[in-house]
Amino acid sequence: MDELIVQPQLPANAAKLNVTWAGQNGDLPDPVPYDATDGDLKAMASEAITNGYIPGIGADANVNLGDFIVDRYAATDEIPYSRVFIRPKTPFGA
Amino acid sequence: MMETALVFDWEGRTIHWHEPPGRSDGALPDSRDLWDVLWEHRSKKTGGTGRLGGVAHTHPWDGPTGASGTDLSTFRAVELGLGQRLWWPIVTFTHSHWFRRRANVSLAEMAAQPDQNFFVDFRRDPKRPNPFYALEDIEELRARSR
Repeated sequence: MDELIVQPQLPANAAKLNVTWAGQNGDLPDPVPYDATDGDLKAMASEAITNGYIPGIGADANVNLGDFIVDRYAATDEIPYSRVFIRPKTPFGA
Repeated sequence: MMETALVFDWEGRTIHWHEPPGRSDGALPDSRDLWDVLWEHRSKKTGGTGRLGGVAHTHPWDGPTGASGTDLSTFRAVELGLGQRLWWPIVTFTHSHWFRRRANVSLAEMAAQPDQNFFVDFRRDPKRPNPFYALEDIEELRARSR
């Protein structure tokens, strides 16, 4: 029997937000605006982590995403919804 | 000259060479690929392979060096993201400096004080122990930076 794969249905211009913090990673249950500013997306993620609202990431009142990066990926044929990732930055500079 | 980096394990063996497009003699750009390597090899406690010891990068010149503001904010961001403490060697053609977060500074404390630097060059502080290992490929790291 074929496995039933249910793709999430997101409103137009909405995206799934994935966040990494303290060795944990999870998706915000609610969609976010794909074109929100980096600052707004990090504020949403910070509030969600503070309140323990992201499955897989324990509540943490000390969350600070100031030095984190926002990666955006538009929908594709394989993944038919936009995604936003918040993860630590990695540049080095002499 | 080109800045170069490598990711190493707890015995100083190279896990990954980092020579991304856009690097220069003064910078290594942000890289999702590097982050993916660090995430894969994070602590076993959080689901990784547990191999990750740290990230070394070069400042391609002779003589001593220090960590730049960009270096320090990256050390901090990565440790907050991984939830673990790493070694952060900075290697020149003649010197190496081994940066590490002070042991008495927790991740929560570091997160709460974004303007503070908690990373110390262990080789410059005689009161602190030297690292217990060396980088296996330190000369190759220098060669790839020339």
